Amino acid sequence: MGMTAAAHARHPKAALRRLEAWSALLGLLVALGLGTWIYQLTQGLRVTGMRDVVSWGAYIVTFAFFVGLSAGGLIVASAAEVFGVQSLKPLSKLGVLTALASITCAGLMIIPDLGRPDRILNLVAYPHWQSPLIWDVGIIATYFLFAAVDLTVLHRRDTSPTGLAKTVRVLAYIGLPTAVLLHSITAWIFGLQIARTWWNTALMAPLFVTSAILSGTALVAVAAIAAQRFAHVRVPEQTWRVVSNLLVVSLFVDLFLVACDYITILWGNVPRERAALNLILPGGSWQTVFWLEWIVGGVAPLVLLMTPRLRASRALVALAALLAMVGVYAYRIELVVGGLVRPIIQLPPGIAKGSYQSDKSSFVYTGGYHPTWVEIAIVVGMFALLAAFITVGYRRLKVLSRPTESHPVPGITVESPIPEPRKVLT
Amino acid sequence: MADGKRWGMVIDQSRCVGCWTCAVACKEINNQPLGFWWNRVLTAPPAPEANAPASDNIDVPAGEFPNLSLAYQPTACQHCQDAPCVKVCPVGATFRRDDGVVLIDYERCIGCRYCIAACPYGVRVFNWGDAKHADEFPVGYAKDYRSDGRLVFTPERPRGVVEKCTMCAELLDAGQEPFCVKQCPAGARVFGDLNDPASEVSKLVNEEGAQRVLDELGTKPDVFYQPAGRRDLTDGSAQSGSGS
Ligand code: SF4
Ligand code: SF4
Repeated sequence: MGMTAAAHARHPKAALRRLEAWSALLGLLVALGLGTWIYQLTQGLRVTGMRDVVSWGAYIVTFAFFVGLSAGGLIVASAAEVFGVQSLKPLSKLGVLTALASITCAGLMIIPDLGRPDRILNLVAYPHWQSPLIWDVGIIATYFLFAAVDLTVLHRRDTSPTGLAKTVRVLAYIGLPTAVLLHSITAWIFGLQIARTWWNTALMAPLFVTSAILSGTALVAVAAIAAQRFAHVRVPEQTWRVVSNLLVVSLFVDLFLVACDYITILWGNVPRERAALNLILPGGSWQTVFWLEWIVGGVAPLVLLMTPRLRASRALVALAALLAMVGVYAYRIELVVGGLVRPIIQLPPGIAKGSYQSDKSSFVYTGGYHPTWVEIAIVVGMFALLAAFITVGYRRLKVLSRPTESHPVPGITVESPIPEPRKVLT
Repeated sequence: MADGKRWGMVIDQSRCVGCWTCAVACKEINNQPLGFWWNRVLTAPPAPEANAPASDNIDVPAGEFPNLSLAYQPTACQHCQDAPCVKVCPVGATFRRDDGVVLIDYERCIGCRYCIAACPYGVRVFNWGDAKHADEFPVGYAKDYRSDGRLVFTPERPRGVVEKCTMCAELLDAGQEPFCVKQCPAGARVFGDLNDPASEVSKLVNEEGAQRVLDELGTKPDVFYQPAGRRDLTDGSAQSGSGS
């Protein structure tokens, strides 16, 4: 995607310059993230805001978010084939591209979280099959391979006249259950833990699947709108209607599931379960995530997507999609941190923090967590890497496949030629 | 690791005086860095509990004057039979020996901290950076210790791995009791073989009503607690039976 606004057909050079600026920005952010990670390697995880009570933070939040992003794309692509949603077909390839990019970033996101990244191959050398984390390693690797194969096949279909339609269909049938499994297993990392009442609910897997469809579709929508605006590719009206409907439905189901969880805890009023929720509900010290999830990422996108006049604007649909992603990210924070802040053991003096300050107690009841600049730089770098993957993939694979004489693509029209980049920045 | 043994511990809350000797002894023998507490003495209601704080501070009794009660619940790794930390460890770095002792292989741990999230008892600590010590030289058991070839204790902590109570595996394997048991000035800690019905720990568990913390979670700890108030301390004689 380029960065430019209108009418670069008239100024292809300006468009190219903006693309280069965008690529340079992404490159800079990725380099900063990488540099910060190297710094973290020299210091250990003490340069993060994590400690023994809140022992997972921004990295795991972002990991879970990226896994979610990856699903949606593939679900969009597969739904087009499996349920024959014709109007989603133009977005198939873009969907699979975002899926591949997101799952790659999700896998990479784990590395800075490890205390011993040098031992990461132990996951392969000594897998302990009872651990949901090992299931997740397996399904992420599978999903990565699957998305890579699927993207290759889709690309072949679009570039050569040979009939790969059947292969595409078969892959779609495999893709859908694989995506559902990926999200369920990632949910079970949390949902199976008896030590964390906030996580320990059977709702976790359905919640992850739903929020994945939501955030993944939102990512595809944002990428497609950017492509439409900057690369002058036209995605048919009908497709937008399906996409915004998918966003609305998944957002409703997502908020419904979260609300079910809240209500179960509130009505039951078991202190151990209330503890985490109290921090998140309005008035609690973590209430920001509540507002981000329910208002910024809930009510606002719903209004934008359900008001016909607002929905007609692509920019507002893109905004709604972005806000929905913010909401899902907020939910990931609510989940990961909310599960950890209040340990079950609530007796004085609390839990050892694992760090020492001569003027402070070494124990706490309720963990605090503020990401440090190190965590922020690394997470921002990973988001830039994700955007870079999608940008490069888009340019290389002509993802919103332009119709050619030998191979017309249904529903896609190009308003003007896309300027080719002079060089591809990676 | 003698055959067929299952090491267990019973902590008598009516004997514990909350002096933290065991916690400090544990820090010392294991050369624990600053800010690390494998073992901590919680101020608790009279029966083992996880969640009934009387106040935010230690040594503050529960209840309202004059009906006050105060007990202590020294808490370290409970050496669970169905240990969540063992189940979640993706690389099998945390493992349970046949004699019931749950240990961590410092050379295999990848530092994912999943076990910290999984342990209900909050007893695991992570080496976030390079360990800082109060002394300039290692204290306590100042050697590496390997169990079945796996490094389960080292005085110089590697950065980025998890650690916790080892039940003093190095002492157990040499036929001794855990250091906290030896050091407790009130004799509140009883250690022995839970598989031997004649052992004192078995009797306390089977006949004297010793309880597990968070029993409802089904983690089946091998560390038990005898509720305070079980004995009438005024004349110093122990009541028989499991009344409280
Ligand atoms: S108390 Fe925690 S660390 Fe110890 S065995 Fe049980 S779950 Fe594992
Ligand atoms: S931090 Fe180490 S011991 Fe704990 S689950 Fe991860 S690899 Fe296993």
